[in-house]
Amino acid sequence: MKRKYNILRWPVHTLKACVNELKLVMGDVGVLVFFVLVSIAYPILYSLIYNTEMAHDVRVVVVDDDRSAESREFVRALDATSEVKVIGYAANMQEARTQMCEHNCYGIINLPRDYALCLGRGEQAHVNIYCDMSVMLRYRQILMSTTAVQLTLSSHIQKAKASVIPINIGGGTIDNEQVALGNTAMGLGSAVLPCILVLVLQQSMILGVGMLHGGARDRRRRFGGIDPEEYDAVALVSVVGRALAHLLVYAVPAVYALLVVPKFFDFPQNGPIIDIVAMALPYLIACSFMSQTFKIFVRGRESTFITMVFTSIIFVFLSGISWPRSSMSQLWITLGNMVPSTWASQGYIAMQSNGASLAAQSHAYMMLWVLCGFYLVSAVLIEAFVARKQTRNPRKRQY
Amino acid sequence: MRGSLQLVQRPALLFMMIAMPLLCSWFLLDLMKGGAVEGVPVAIVNLDNSSMSRAIERNLSAMQGVNIKRHYASHGDAMKALQRGDIHGFFLIPERMQELTLGGRSPMVSYYINYAYFTPSSSQYKGFKAVSMLTNGAIAKTMLDAVGLISEQSIAATLQPILTHVHGINNPWTNYGYYLNMSFIPCLLALFVMLTTTTTIGSEFKQATSLEWINVAGGSVIVATLGKLLPQTVIFIAVGWMTQALMFNSYGIPLHCDPWTMMGAMVLFVLANQAFALFVICFVPNYRKASTLCTLLGMMSFSFCGFSLPAESMYPIFNSMSYVMPMRHFFLISVDQALNGIDIYYSRIHFAALIGYLVLPIPLLLRLRHNCVKPLYVP
Repeated sequence: MKRKYNILRWPVHTLKACVNELKLVMGDVGVLVFFVLVSIAYPILYSLIYNTEMAHDVRVVVVDDDRSAESREFVRALDATSEVKVIGYAANMQEARTQMCEHNCYGIINLPRDYALCLGRGEQAHVNIYCDMSVMLRYRQILMSTTAVQLTLSSHIQKAKASVIPINIGGGTIDNEQVALGNTAMGLGSAVLPCILVLVLQQSMILGVGMLHGGARDRRRRFGGIDPEEYDAVALVSVVGRALAHLLVYAVPAVYALLVVPKFFDFPQNGPIIDIVAMALPYLIACSFMSQTFKIFVRGRESTFITMVFTSIIFVFLSGISWPRSSMSQLWITLGNMVPSTWASQGYIAMQSNGASLAAQSHAYMMLWVLCGFYLVSAVLIEAFVARKQTRNPRKRQY
Repeated sequence: MRGSLQLVQRPALLFMMIAMPLLCSWFLLDLMKGGAVEGVPVAIVNLDNSSMSRAIERNLSAMQGVNIKRHYASHGDAMKALQRGDIHGFFLIPERMQELTLGGRSPMVSYYINYAYFTPSSSQYKGFKAVSMLTNGAIAKTMLDAVGLISEQSIAATLQPILTHVHGINNPWTNYGYYLNMSFIPCLLALFVMLTTTTTIGSEFKQATSLEWINVAGGSVIVATLGKLLPQTVIFIAVGWMTQALMFNSYGIPLHCDPWTMMGAMVLFVLANQAFALFVICFVPNYRKASTLCTLLGMMSFSFCGFSLPAESMYPIFNSMSYVMPMRHFFLISVDQALNGIDIYYSRIHFAALIGYLVLPIPLLLRLRHNCVKPLYVP
């Protein structure tokens, strides 16, 4: 097939393709649900789910075999922590276990019979704590609270001893302190949400673009290979034009998700706004090109869901928010490198949580542009050779 | 019969039903096969450079949880590296630490941990805390020895009068993969089951073949639905069992109950999800809307079913919403049965709930029939 293009007319065609895509998006409620509603409602919903940040007052029962003033002091101190709530005493371990099986409590504190005796004799007293492991956060909270109580009570006892034994335990030792960076509340929400905010944009775009493409295929099928609503242009022009349209549509949701939602929920927001916007630009472009590449897997409008939705979970894990990338095998690191959200979430978290500048995240920023190029090529190839191959518009080209 | 034929005619759908859930399960299992997060990249800022601070460095480098990647000369340099993402945290040893300690004063070592990444932060905390305690212990022990507290026991009792032992029941290794995969893999499967159900029924509406579908079933909507969904049920149960085999057999996730209990639960789980999706498409007889709804609910259930933040810690509305999804019940069954191996009696409500889902779409089947006889495709 012989084609003649006037390269000088490309910008005009790009704009026309962009306007055409905008028309398609605006005329399609199903796509608008993803482009606008999901990217506006999801950040709010997720933020609300995680807004409590932490498990507070994890219920535990106490099996106190000692029943002494000292053991009661331990239990009182534990109950006073924000992490754990003592719901009651159980007569023995069997009874406590039954409580645990019935999900009335998630931990058992066992104070042995010689607890006060050991303390009185100046021996080491032991406390056994049993945790349900179904949700890690509960375990973590029980661990933190019991450690805190152990340290506080120990230092009380040490002080009392120090007056008897002529040494100063406090002096000549090295103190230590923890400084929490990035997420000073140490909450789950502030840790997970920045990644989700970034990811929602990419995933809603993949689904929306998939639906648009599925709709186009449906139309082609119905009209014998012609999509009356398509703007006919060179593959490169179509792809870039569409990306421009997606960028325009996503300008508001992106600003909203990346900059406004953190304000609503008081998530870490230490990033310079200009730098975040600068990072969002290549991210959205890369997302659009990637979506236009992935549309090859979409057969019809609605089958987008079954073929695309699960990628969200894969991409969340590849981004390293849950399982750190430093512990992944090379295969998954490489795969993660090819996903825009990996770099965007890394950059966004570094900026918002750790107050990095764009310069500090130059690698992530550069990788986003590399991915833009990579997915541009793949999207154009797919547009030119696969998406249009069988259902080529038979009309003569107009330029 | 027609249902199975259609499945065979759509290899892409079969691929999504069989290969994708298995591939995803393998991905998650393989990703977290290390169990606990180890070798988190950290740095040391040693402003002291004494024999004591070098001993701390050596101790730290022996910790499994952290991996000392760099040494920095100042707090600022380390902070910049953290912002670049090179390290997840750093350990700061102050100037003149050895001198002050030996002089009977208490200098402060600090560890800076980036809590923006949650999982590695715990490994760092453990490693850093342990090293500071160890160092302290060694110094104090020498001193106590010197003042004549001879016995090991009394030294231990003086340093730590109370010692707490926290035992994680059935996962003492705090294996992250065990805990996460048990919930995420079935949740992914649920997503595939629900979407396959809406896709196969919805495409009947779309291609306007729903009348034919009902007619082939002799006009009975029950026969039609059963005929369409049962082949999928069989496939998904097989796939579900395979994921379970992967989890419990190949990757050693604890299974403390009779394997048949979990396999039975999987059967109910697949059926419950199909029934749930059927309910959705009966309720919203539109291919796109039903799929959208299943997608959004399915994705949300990863969060509000309480795998990471416990459901009882969320706002009450999300807590109660979580019980709407079959996944929540299956998750609680897996925890009770597979992980904790407690009596099946304690999971009775959740088994009942899973069975309850099967009844859910029945009152709405007539509505489905009505929509099938008069198909209307709204894109």
